[in-house]
Amino acid sequence: MASTQHHPSHVLLSPAELAYLHDSLLLVPPIRPDGRGPNDFRPLVAETGILPGANGSARICFADGTEAIAGVKAEVERTARRAGDDTVFLEEGGGEAGDEREEDGEDGEAGPGALGEASGRKGERKGEAAWVELTVEIPGVRDDDSGTVFVAAMLSEALLADGELVRRLWINRRFHWKLYIDIILISPPLSYPLPLLSLTTHLALLATRLPRLKSEGDEDPFFDDDWAAAPYLFPRSPSRGRPAARPPITLLVMAVGNNILFDPSKEELAVADVALAVSVTSGASQAGPGGNAADASGPSQRSLRLLSIRTIDPPSRLTPPGVANAANAAYGAANLNNLGSSAQQQKAAEARTAETEAVEGVWRAPRGGASRAVLAALVGKVLEKGGVVDEVLDALEAVDLG
Amino acid sequence: MPIKIFAPKPPRPLHRPSSHHDTSSSDSGSDSESDAGGGAHLDADGDIPMTSQRRVRLDLATTTSDAGIVTPGELITSDPQWMRGHGTYVPASTTSIVSSVAGTVTRTNKLLSVRPLRARYTPEVGDLVVGRIVEVQAKRWRVDVGSTQLAALPLSAINLPGGILRKRTETDELQIRTFFAEGDLLVAEVQQLFADGGAVLHTRSLKYGKLRNGVFVAVSGMGGGGGVVRSRRQVWTMDGAHGAGPIDVVLGVNGYVWISRHVDAPEPDKAAGLHNMEESVSATVYSSQNDRIDVATMREIARLRGVVTALVENGLRVDEDMVVRGYQEAVEQALLAEEGIEDVYLGGDKGRRLAAALTGAA
Repeated sequence: MASTQHHPSHVLLSPAELAYLHDSLLLVPPIRPDGRGPNDFRPLVAETGILPGANGSARICFADGTEAIAGVKAEVERTARRAGDDTVFLEEGGGEAGDEREEDGEDGEAGPGALGEASGRKGERKGEAAWVELTVEIPGVRDDDSGTVFVAAMLSEALLADGELVRRLWINRRFHWKLYIDIILISPPLSYPLPLLSLTTHLALLATRLPRLKSEGDEDPFFDDDWAAAPYLFPRSPSRGRPAARPPITLLVMAVGNNILFDPSKEELAVADVALAVSVTSGASQAGPGGNAADASGPSQRSLRLLSIRTIDPPSRLTPPGVANAANAAYGAANLNNLGSSAQQQKAAEARTAETEAVEGVWRAPRGGASRAVLAALVGKVLEKGGVVDEVLDALEAVDLG
Repeated sequence: MPIKIFAPKPPRPLHRPSSHHDTSSSDSGSDSESDAGGGAHLDADGDIPMTSQRRVRLDLATTTSDAGIVTPGELITSDPQWMRGHGTYVPASTTSIVSSVAGTVTRTNKLLSVRPLRARYTPEVGDLVVGRIVEVQAKRWRVDVGSTQLAALPLSAINLPGGILRKRTETDELQIRTFFAEGDLLVAEVQQLFADGGAVLHTRSLKYGKLRNGVFVAVSGMGGGGGVVRSRRQVWTMDGAHGAGPIDVVLGVNGYVWISRHVDAPEPDKAAGLHNMEESVSATVYSSQNDRIDVATMREIARLRGVVTALVENGLRVDEDMVVRGYQEAVEQALLAEEGIEDVYLGGDKGRRLAAALTGAA
């Protein structure tokens, strides 16, 4: 688990504010500072196709002013020939040099992919993680800042986890598309930017079109000039006009007590007991890639698949504790004359004991890990049938991809 | 509905068709007078009302963009008859006036100034501000008040607990964090200004001090039009609806707003006199422990916070009148809404409806 303590989303709040926020979020139902329901997202403004020079682009703006742009550019690249490529059809698995270089995320796909290859040439389409290059730029933060690197790693991990995206980049055995995904946060990071960047990337990938291939087989690729004929990277199903498969999304979910909150703002994250970044994909899931993936079939023929879970170190752990009135040297007129006297040392000893026990209305940073029940509830809530993720995907589908 | 995604709004037309300029010359005299009074609104067409200065208008027509917004470095006029005001400068060895900020041009008689779209708070002596401690030094705190620089709060400019009056000692300096530590919010007054615009604060009154029992919302950075404006009353107590207790609202001139449960001052002992009352009131001033707050009050505090953010998002000014009326309107709308009074969300559509109701009634 990487730490994000130096991330600019770290906020400075007074102990009294933290205590108030925590108390109001603990209520059933919780009262969020901006009045949203626990499952509600902040309203978004979204558009696609804003960068004329990119294969696909999107812009999303939160009501609080955080705004991100994602652009996707594709280049044809020669696929590196790997030792053992020619023998791979004759013998599968078994310590081939090529197989050892497979990405971890594709392990789950190795089984069905191998079967497909054995049965016919169509099944040999598989990609490598290196075919997608993702960069994140956050203003006022260095490129190699740990927070930015962590966010970029989480985003690309979700994109590469099921190998679906890279498989679409396959042109033929000698060439593939190389995808450059550039994500820029335009505004200063007013909240933890991961969900915003993920939604923007999702929209940009949905809007991405690649030129139509005219050449056949393994010859040098040759493309159609007509941009109008260019197919989408994630093609629409002809019946519903909606993409059959979709790129994954990463959502930020947090818990305070037993309350589960979606799309937490910066203040809410500052009192979180636990915060998770959960990556989910949907669509016609192929053969269930056993292991850590859980299946849940959605109501509208949508099946949600869990791709990855990352715990985010909530900034709440770094917040200073409040001082109870009983231990406060500057509280009450009675303490006045004790300043600097021996009574004060006694008071300091009391303060140490007071810190270990909870006093109502005094902020204490959460300690220790999250309980398993809360973590399970968080993941269960995300994968719920007809739940929040379904609604988010429906809303994203409704965005005009122009 | 957990999520709502909207299409972007088309850019708001700030500029009417150019034929309007020729007909507006008769009434623009009153426009410039309202500007001179410090009115926060633009002219109807968002442009400078020009009367007889044909040359200037030609100049402006050729140099400024159609949207009526000038950007830093953009030439406003090269006519020497104009005086430069805020947000402009005259480059060396020229007579032309150039904008130094992004904003809209306003004219007051012969004075041209640019009202910035976004601005930081400029402190003035006597302003009531809400600030957050960001740095603790040996004899003073540095306070973020949304200005270009951190304000200073000297140790000598605070009330000691109990209202005791004495010289600050080394003991006080060692214990400086027991009064205010990093992150603490406080309400204070600007006592004096440095030449570079930095402010020195003081909390030497029972009205000022550390803040607790509530929520903070920043509406700073608002340029012309919206945001908190200096007004007669920046602090007031209002009654919460639906069984909530009284609620305190502190509108810092710097755009930092504090909304909290009202805490009754302890009953002063009649015989004790003024000094003792000060003592008993200021005993709790450095507490960072919240009182018990009931659910109804918390909900109405969240509703008030929603009102303030809705006002800001819709470009309305934030003052006592608007907040009180907006809150009443929000309570009424909640009574009629199908979600019931428990729903205090005022973003997006609801905020727009609230703003429309407020401006329609005005």
